[in-house]
Amino acid sequence: MTVQGKVFRRARIAFVILALGAVSLTPAPAPAAADWKIDPARTTIAFAIDATGFPRTEGRFRHFEGRIAVDFNRPENSSVAFHVQSGSVDVGSASFSDYLRSPAFLDAGKHPSIDFVSTSVQKLSDHAVRVTGELTLLGVTKPLIVDVAVTRDAGGKGRLEFEAQTRIDRLEFGMNSGFPLVSRNVDLMIKSAAAEL
Amino acid sequence: MTPARWSPAVVVLHWLNAALTLELLAHGWAMTHAVFVAATTFDLYQWHKALGFSALALTAIRLAARLRFAAPEPVAGWEGRLARTVQASFYGLTLFAIGAGWLVVSTSPLPIPTRFFGLFIVPNIARPDAALFAWATLAHRVGTYAIAALVALHVAGALKHHWIDRDDTLTRMRPRWPNKWGVCNGGTVSSGARGQKSWK
Repeated sequence: MTVQGKVFRRARIAFVILALGAVSLTPAPAPAAADWKIDPARTTIAFAIDATGFPRTEGRFRHFEGRIAVDFNRPENSSVAFHVQSGSVDVGSASFSDYLRSPAFLDAGKHPSIDFVSTSVQKLSDHAVRVTGELTLLGVTKPLIVDVAVTRDAGGKGRLEFEAQTRIDRLEFGMNSGFPLVSRNVDLMIKSAAAEL
Repeated sequence: MTPARWSPAVVVLHWLNAALTLELLAHGWAMTHAVFVAATTFDLYQWHKALGFSALALTAIRLAARLRFAAPEPVAGWEGRLARTVQASFYGLTLFAIGAGWLVVSTSPLPIPTRFFGLFIVPNIARPDAALFAWATLAHRVGTYAIAALVALHVAGALKHHWIDRDDTLTRMRPRWPNKWGVCNGGTVSSGARGQKSWK
């Protein structure tokens, strides 16, 4: 064997050892979580906020896009991301919705998107998961934990229904208008249905 | 020369203002007392603000018309003094209530632009101030309840003259419709028939 051949052989052995080491140090790659398609017609992203001397304001966002990846065997591999168009806010009155789009509240011109991106998913029971993620509103990103009820549709191809409620403090995102006349707490109610791709 | 009737301009403005005042009183009461959904309440407030500024413009026009056109002879005695006081108070309280309302809008801790029927934004006359907002709200409320009381007194007086005294105090404020020849004559016959106690 030539000197060059010996060098190559040693290099090959070293590579195999390194590769084996790498495999033993990192967990086995999990099967990829399956992507699910959100059904916009069966998805509601709603909110409610109280105010003094004014009825509870309830509204929803009409335009959004979302992505859900689900791994039933390893729920921690699941993920969710929602991007909501802040300008699509609808409270049942054109002038009221316009006002909520203004810089006083959603500032839709400057911040057209409200985003939620999960960072981890933890299984709580067969019908519930805890989704930890980051919510970006008015350009401010804060952690948000949401418990999500999950219903698997028994019939037909895989269908999933999700339902979640949570509450955020709008002051944390710099949305201060009208406080304390207008409550700092905003209730969020999300319902969604998804089908396996 | 003292006219027998109010000028047609004053008559038209009177009834326009009467309708607007009643609308604003009912509207203001409903939006603060009745239970509507948030969207309806928001819209009611915005309409109330736009109509309130319409009332301000109408009051200014009415004052100008009142100064421009001569008034018929008022009722004699204490009733005439009371009627004149009520009429003057209407102008004063209307301006006071609208001014207080404008201050409410301006000092609100949650400033919502006043869009005058989508044409332009009415400027604010003060900065947001919670304490001043509370005072202005009280002043607006007191002013409007006083106007409601004046409306009751004014209507009672007009009906008393019409049904009890049977004079023409009410009918001389009645709109006259042009007949087919374009001549206004409605009301003059009945006015004469009811007697001329209060104007000669």
